[in-house]
Amino acid sequence: MMRILRMMQTIDARYLYALLMLSVALPFFIPFQLPVVVTPETEALYDAVENLPANSFVLVGIDWNAGSRGENRPQTTVILRHLMARHLRFALLDFSDPQGATLGEEIAHELQGQYGYQEGRDWVNFGYQVDMVNWLKSFVLNVPGQVQTDSSGKPVASLPVMQGIRTARNIPLVIDITPTGSYQTYIQFMAGPYRNSMKMGVALTAVMAPDAYNYLDSHQIVGLLAGLTGAAEYQSRFAQEYDKGLLLRSRVTRYSNSSSSAHILIICLILMGNIAMILERRQRARLHAKG
Amino acid sequence: MHTPPGVFSIWLSHNQHAMILWAGALSTLGLYSLLYRENRFYRFWEHIFLGLATGFGVEQTWNDILLPRWWHPLWDKGEWWLIILLVPGLLYYGIYSRKFNWMARMVIGFYLGVAAGQSFQGFVNDTWPQIPASFKPIIPHAAIPALHNSQAIPALSIEQAATNVAFMVILLCVLSYFFFAFEQKNRAVQTSARLGRWMMMFSFGAIFGLTIMARLALLIDRVYFLLYEFGSLFEPAGTKNQPSWDVMGMLVALIALTLYLSWRYGEGRPGSTGS
Repeated sequence: MMRILRMMQTIDARYLYALLMLSVALPFFIPFQLPVVVTPETEALYDAVENLPANSFVLVGIDWNAGSRGENRPQTTVILRHLMARHLRFALLDFSDPQGATLGEEIAHELQGQYGYQEGRDWVNFGYQVDMVNWLKSFVLNVPGQVQTDSSGKPVASLPVMQGIRTARNIPLVIDITPTGSYQTYIQFMAGPYRNSMKMGVALTAVMAPDAYNYLDSHQIVGLLAGLTGAAEYQSRFAQEYDKGLLLRSRVTRYSNSSSSAHILIICLILMGNIAMILERRQRARLHAKG
Repeated sequence: MHTPPGVFSIWLSHNQHAMILWAGALSTLGLYSLLYRENRFYRFWEHIFLGLATGFGVEQTWNDILLPRWWHPLWDKGEWWLIILLVPGLLYYGIYSRKFNWMARMVIGFYLGVAAGQSFQGFVNDTWPQIPASFKPIIPHAAIPALHNSQAIPALSIEQAATNVAFMVILLCVLSYFFFAFEQKNRAVQTSARLGRWMMMFSFGAIFGLTIMARLALLIDRVYFLLYEFGSLFEPAGTKNQPSWDVMGMLVALIALTLYLSWRYGEGRPGSTGS
């Protein structure tokens, strides 16, 4: 008995890695849909997009790279899908990492066919920019003047998507998708000064999300997606209104199922390790009492 | 067979996609090989990643920023005064010389001043709105309509009031923990500070849990890549949206081999904590 209890606490970590790998991989082979409860912060971001007037212009910050693709890619996918389903114009903008602009553009290209979207007419990629603070301070005063050209070198002032977009007052919503604190710079130099005409939403990696609740509470941001779970919630809300079949065929659902399965495994392992520790202590105390 | 103009190699252009997927799969497995133990395969892919990320950064910075904003206006549009920007830029390189590093300090000092000034504006828009938002009503009431210049106040239910009370209590407790102006001898302050510490521990626990969730998402994304994107190489056309059993079989075999090696050479026996 003691040997088993000891083994449960000192098992080689590699066996646990193997179990974790299997718990992540196997759900991909079993199509199922776990119930998703949409949290108020996700609902609020969804409503912010849903309540925009048709043809509004949304600025989407793609401030992530391949390192956080597991969380930020599903978030970007569900948000861009919603913008396209609502026929809203949008621009991609990247400050945090040179990869972001390319990764965001890849997702927009992947989705645009399904919604009849066209680059330049319905959306534009402002590309990768540096010196976020100064760039934004100039951007809010003169959008086409600061951006000048899109990522493929076309002058943005001549693009149909930019019609009527002169200053930050013409942008009713900004959504920053990021594993960094870039959304705080947006709040400080764009959404904050223009709070009367502009709302801001954020989609963060789970580890960053607790920091953002302060901003949510003070209404500096209207909504928040927290990690992969946030993306799954947003997709679930989107599917209710627009595309019920999406849940079964979407990559986000598969990610979400794998995540749930791995969480169950981790919880079980934590419980088993602790129960074994308690039982071993009791066993030792009993043996000690017997002498 | 002639190679069409603009194509480096026909074989390469035909197999480019497969090669990219193979490189992705090998690098994924290479990086995860660290879970078995530190090894050269892992180191190799780590260096490849570092090199790629740096190279990509340089390319994007040149193409997206320097080329359209500096080079083209300077050479193509005749905006010759942009050459002046080169001077403060070059001063930065003074940090590599003991003799001339004072030059770098000039530009660094300038930008420190700019950043310090900007942080005032940042602080006002970032933190100030959170101060009034911390004062929350704690007594339930019905909705109050707008009167003259005042705004309408929405109703406050008992549940919301209870949440606000919890918020206020936690806020005061955490603030009292960080109150170092005098020694905390008062029992009420000691108790609230201790409670504040507990509350912070709860939030650190939540952050830690979310960190695990975040790391798992990265693993899930890589497994998805292996089973679907890399797996599409082994599946017949038209089954692109299905996970590959072939790749799953390879993964299981690889895991089994790793565990066998761990067990065979003694490191995987109970009592060993692994890498």
